[in-house]
Amino acid sequence: MPKNQKLALVVDDSKMQCKLLSVLLQEEDYRVVVANDGASGVDMYIEHQPDLVLMDINMPIMDGFEATRRIKKLSGVGTLAPLIFITSMDSEQSFIDSVEAGGDSILVRPFTPRVFKAKIKAMQRISDLVEQVKSLQQEQLNDAELAEKMMSGVIEARNFALDKIGVIKKAATIFSGDIQLTALCPNGDINVLLGDFTGHGLRSSIGAIPVTETFRAMTKKGFSILDIVAQLNRQMYTLLPGDLFFAASFACISEHDKSAYIFNAGLPEGYLFSDSGLIKNRFNSTHPPLGILPKLLPDAQLEVVQVMKTDRLVFITDGIVEARNKSGDLFGFPRFEKAAIDGIFHKKLVDSVLNSLDDFCQHCDQEDDISLVEVPCSGWQAVELSHKVAIPETFTEEEDFFVTTPDSSPSWTYHLHLTGRLLKTINPIPLVMNQINDLEGAGEHWQSLYTILTELFINGLDHGVLALNSSLKNSAEGFSQYFNERSSRLDKLAGSGIDDFIRIALQYYPLSHGGKVVINIKDSGNGFDILDVMKDNSIAMNDGLKLSGRGVELVNQLCDTLEYQEQGTLVTASYIWHNPVKLN
Amino acid sequence: MTVSSRTSGDGKELIIAIEERFDFSLHQQFRDAYNRVTTPDLTFILDLSQTEYMDSSALGMILLLKDHVQLCAGQLIISRPSDTVRKILEIAQFQRLMTIE
Repeated sequence: MPKNQKLALVVDDSKMQCKLLSVLLQEEDYRVVVANDGASGVDMYIEHQPDLVLMDINMPIMDGFEATRRIKKLSGVGTLAPLIFITSMDSEQSFIDSVEAGGDSILVRPFTPRVFKAKIKAMQRISDLVEQVKSLQQEQLNDAELAEKMMSGVIEARNFALDKIGVIKKAATIFSGDIQLTALCPNGDINVLLGDFTGHGLRSSIGAIPVTETFRAMTKKGFSILDIVAQLNRQMYTLLPGDLFFAASFACISEHDKSAYIFNAGLPEGYLFSDSGLIKNRFNSTHPPLGILPKLLPDAQLEVVQVMKTDRLVFITDGIVEARNKSGDLFGFPRFEKAAIDGIFHKKLVDSVLNSLDDFCQHCDQEDDISLVEVPCSGWQAVELSHKVAIPETFTEEEDFFVTTPDSSPSWTYHLHLTGRLLKTINPIPLVMNQINDLEGAGEHWQSLYTILTELFINGLDHGVLALNSSLKNSAEGFSQYFNERSSRLDKLAGSGIDDFIRIALQYYPLSHGGKVVINIKDSGNGFDILDVMKDNSIAMNDGLKLSGRGVELVNQLCDTLEYQEQGTLVTASYIWHNPVKLN
Repeated sequence: MTVSSRTSGDGKELIIAIEERFDFSLHQQFRDAYNRVTTPDLTFILDLSQTEYMDSSALGMILLLKDHVQLCAGQLIISRPSDTVRKILEIAQFQRLMTIE
């Protein structure tokens, strides 16, 4: 007996009819089982799971309608064993009752064998289609589950400081088109992204992997958040079809600089909450979502705000504010803000927002993916300050730990001279770090060098070329004034020639157990009165703070030596590191 | 029909109006409303005064319309969106990409 031979169940109290139908079915290559009343018909159905059921209406014990109702209840939504009523009751009502009970078709006696067989074929065709749809659905479900597993297990599990960040992620289908990323910058800042691809489900997720890769790689290399946004925009523009785009909010939070840099491209407003639940800032969308325009708009810029250690930054996607209740009302901004503020009081923002949403929506179908990220403005791992030289005690004097090359000349030098407009548009530090990585390979110790270079370059640019006074940054009003002034002075640079410049020079000296980099940064500014703040041309650690803000303090801790010369327009720093010592 | 389109008396404008919800379910209807219209220098007016709600796939559909309008060297104007719809357009900063009045 071939395995794929179909099985039919005939339920009829007339043995004669059963015999007749069985013969016809066998001619169509069916195996046949028979029951003579409704109740045993249901039992047979459970026992044999037939592919087709033929049902009489008037039978003892249980009639055909009741048996059909029970069978259809058993067979569930997804499966279809077609059920055909065979009857002599040629009335409109019996036809309607048959369909109501769950019958798929009705055949009225008398009929010829040819009509009967045609009917069976037609029903089989329908049930084959249902089978096909079912297996396609299953396939799609498997794909979505795989993609979801990849997203949550691979992409988002690699996020930085997962334990410190509050997250809501409720997908409308299995797979969310929203993406939440965090990554640590080389200088200890943290970059955050909350993004929403158009639509939801698998179709909306094709950009997720390239976005993740780019965000992580560029953060690691030390590119600024605006550089990252610009690159993601270019990438999404090339990748996504015309009607798909990527709305996203970005933040770079700097704990040691007490500031946050924000960019919102097409998401609902983001918030900065104080620990008392005050909304300190709202970050409105200032740019169309990414992937629509080939390049960012020329006036695209980051919003800079001062943050306290206890502040919390919150981004949401439109799924939250556009969630609906039974009467079709939107959850909206006021409800969200109230829930968030209540939550901050109890240090449970995420729970509070979720509860409020659930109360509001009850059990309405969710139309869109719902996402939120809540990021504290401090508490990231401290910047690693321990790369200063520590000579192990076991070394004897005869064995000089750091043997420089005899003539003390660098094994390579690197110069970069940036002028005018380029000072506004180019961030040279990733370029420099790339060069070093290419020449000397990757290494943990470059993180400190990155911080030193960034701080010294920014100092040269802000306080040298742009002649900004860092004491402004000490008050909240001054803080935003400082950044407004900074961006307007940067704009003016665009028109200036080569008179405004910063020159970066690096010299590299290999040491027997490590290496040394000497950094020279010269700027075109007017400098400052070194004698006022320095003794013997070297900065005492405590004076560093007064000199030019928080940055210099940090640099001084990381450097081996740090000196200002030429009226403060030239800074020379040296950085020494040792390879991890293997103790045998 | 929640998508309707008509040409103005002078033949210089094609007005597409959306009623109630503007979402992915209107995809085909919306395309059909403009796809065969390739008259050069035509002004396409997307009338959203009767649109109560719009989702992000509708924004995507508007971008496709914008591409079409640019291909036929026409002009696209989004007309009289309700407050709810205007807010959605503003979040997406569509006023930077097209005229909204």
